[in-house]
Amino acid sequence: MVLGNYKQVIAARSTDAEILRGSQDGGIVTQLFAYALDAGIIDGAIVAGPSDEPFKPEPMVATTREELLASRGTRYSISPNMSLIKEVTRSYGLDKVGVVGTPCQIQALRKGQLYPVGLRDVPDKIALAIGIFCMENFPYQSIIQLVEDHGATALENVSKLDIGKGKFWIYTERGATVQIPLKVTHKYEQPGCHVCLDYVSNLADISTGSVGTPDGWSTVFVRSANGDDIWAKAIAAGAFETKPIDSVKPGIELVTKLATEKITKNQQYIEDRKTKFTVGKELRNPYI
Amino acid sequence: MSKVVEISPTTRHEGHSKLVLKVNDDGIVERGDWLSITPVRGIEKLAIGKTMEQVPKIASRVCGICPIAHTLAATEAMEASIGCEIPEDAYLLRMMLQCANRIHSHALHNILTLPDMYLPGTDSKINPFTPEEPVRSVAKRIQTLRMVGQTIGEIVGGEAIHPSNPRVGGMYKNLTPRARAKVLDLAKMGLPLAREHMEFMIAILRNYQKRDWAEVGGKEIPIPKDLGYHNQGYMAADPVYGSSSLDEIPGWFPERWTEVRPWDWYMGEEEITLEDPSYPVGGTTKAGTKAWPQMEACTGVPLYDGQPVEVGPRARLVQFKNYDEKGAIGLQIARQMEYMDCFYKIIEAADALDCSAPVIADEIPQGDGSIGWAANEAPRGCDVHLAKVRNGKVEYFSMLVPTTWNFPTCSRALVGAPWQLTEVIMRAYDPCVSCATHMIVLDEDKRLVAEKLLE
Ligand SMILES: Cc1cc2nc3c(=O)[nH]c(=O)nc-3n(C[C@H](O)[C@H](O)[C@H](O)COP(=O)(O)OP(=O)(O)OC[C@H]3O[C@@H](n4cnc5c(N)ncnc54)[C@H](O)[C@@H]3O)c2cc1C
Ligand code: SF4
Repeated sequence: MVLGNYKQVIAARSTDAEILRGSQDGGIVTQLFAYALDAGIIDGAIVAGPSDEPFKPEPMVATTREELLASRGTRYSISPNMSLIKEVTRSYGLDKVGVVGTPCQIQALRKGQLYPVGLRDVPDKIALAIGIFCMENFPYQSIIQLVEDHGATALENVSKLDIGKGKFWIYTERGATVQIPLKVTHKYEQPGCHVCLDYVSNLADISTGSVGTPDGWSTVFVRSANGDDIWAKAIAAGAFETKPIDSVKPGIELVTKLATEKITKNQQYIEDRKTKFTVGKELRNPYI
Repeated sequence: MSKVVEISPTTRHEGHSKLVLKVNDDGIVERGDWLSITPVRGIEKLAIGKTMEQVPKIASRVCGICPIAHTLAATEAMEASIGCEIPEDAYLLRMMLQCANRIHSHALHNILTLPDMYLPGTDSKINPFTPEEPVRSVAKRIQTLRMVGQTIGEIVGGEAIHPSNPRVGGMYKNLTPRARAKVLDLAKMGLPLAREHMEFMIAILRNYQKRDWAEVGGKEIPIPKDLGYHNQGYMAADPVYGSSSLDEIPGWFPERWTEVRPWDWYMGEEEITLEDPSYPVGGTTKAGTKAWPQMEACTGVPLYDGQPVEVGPRARLVQFKNYDEKGAIGLQIARQMEYMDCFYKIIEAADALDCSAPVIADEIPQGDGSIGWAANEAPRGCDVHLAKVRNGKVEYFSMLVPTTWNFPTCSRALVGAPWQLTEVIMRAYDPCVSCATHMIVLDEDKRLVAEKLLE
């Protein structure tokens, strides 16, 4: 099951024009948190907030709509969101915590809930985990290299970065578009991503990404009972516009294809760590 | 002819200790030694050379019931050595943490105390684990009070057991307004429960004072009116929080403190000559066994003005509120009387807290090797840490922990009691034996005499 367990999959986008203006795709993450905050389902969320440097994310606890809006958009570099998972229940005083993260971060969250080593009083305070799709991630230095050198663009002039349709896209404030073939980006990937076997955040309550739906829309998997309940309430509240996934192009087939490719490739890499990289010794495999 | 009886191990307190008791023909204690037999961990020794940030985090691990005391005393000893004043709001956070821990600790101790006590008007002892009323509601109330204490500790201190928020120079984090509101809500919820519980506990303890006998191992043991009386002094640095060498008017005086070896204070080698297999549960030490308190005691013996002193809730009330009730039960009652203040102080501090103010000093000096000390009024009494810091590293570290002060004092308080009730006296001190055991012994001139033991 390369797409994990889910109750339903749909194409969706936020009905809030302000949220859509700065979101990466259909504004699912920001809209869902904003709704949950309003409805008292969460009292704050750990998101990737802005930092002093352009496109460098910094984990942040958002407890207002304004703070959620400030975290919109994808930053293709590491944002250690889980570093706040305990503090959010301490000096921030939250009881119902929302969390967004890449598949590996949602794994960390679930592991922490089941095996709370040093995470006293955290497991029962997680109210909504939203996962985003993720093919790979980059260290911040890689983003500088890709945008400034390969893309010949000053990072502070960039309005959006996106990976899609086989390219790394750079959009500038002044309206220019630069595209870099993905082949070029490979050597800049975070090496740890090469053992990752999860593309569509299988362990989240609700997961979302851009692949499978047209620009400005998102593919959404509603997975857990908790996710199903919250999604139904958000729909009833008019937070989202939806379409059956079968009615959009390229649809679920492309998500399946990319997920299969990621998992197959990385599975092979894990196998290779047994034999290829050392003499007479295996490299560690965290899955066994 | 006096006989020697030994209760080992003692129960319903923290850590590992025993009672070696010389008794007369009526089983009344003529001389009692209560001593730690917890292995020495040598925290003070291994602190040397480590950074001033690490040492309080290590010292915290001396004890998981009162880690707040060791964290704060050690941190503040470092601050006293380097001469660092922390911001007001950091102090308010520490005050909340301190009181929250005291609530939890006293409530926990109630569970250890109650099995010695009787339901008023009956001859049935209290079993805190029974599902039957009225005890069930009492147990629930105790657990709620502990939950309130631990949750406030967690929010303010970062963690209820081994708090992460305190650091040399202040605190890592201030509270958000939401967290502050949560603290206030919890404290206001706990306040009426604490009053109810204090009154309940005092009624139970008063009832014990009125009783003529207590049942131990199927026998009726007479309760003397002066159970646990002693003539030692009291020592407390502050009614609630503590004091340090940075204070203009300090509450503790290092020149009044000396320390002797167990060798100078405890009994020599004795043979056990009295044995009672019916002592609950499992009997006393077998006759013929040898005991040697001088050699076996795992703590130093600190003295204040050349005498053992009592520290703890009663010492605080005697020193600051003219409390005058003596004996084991008097000490227990003093402990219950501390509940309310803890709640009031938390509410006061949370009200005063400015959530946007800095909680870390602008400048944190690295130290020139000057000696500094800080006394924290731990749940069990005055916990004094002394430190010398130079260039950010600890050169000298010493901990004078409440139960260490109380060991010799309580030993004297055993005299005159039937040996079967000596554990009741000991428990009144709420002993924390791992706290007490981490020895460095000084002689009268404060030279290290027991360092060799640790090398
Ligand atoms: C490293 C990375 C790789 C991705 N790869 C793919 C992919 O291969 N295919 C695909 O379909 N989608 C991918 N995505 C997801 C996609 O880019 C969008 O993030 C997703 O569709 C959500 O868009 P939205 O409009 O719903 O969210 P928005 O409303 O724009 O909110 C985005 C949310 O993502 C969070 N976020 C941003 N950057 C990070 C980060 N680095 N780490 C953790 N959280 C972050 C923000 O805090 C914010 O809450 C990737 C995302 C990341 C971060
Ligand atoms: S590819 Fe996997 S490991 Fe790398 S960031 Fe994405 S989810 Fe995490």
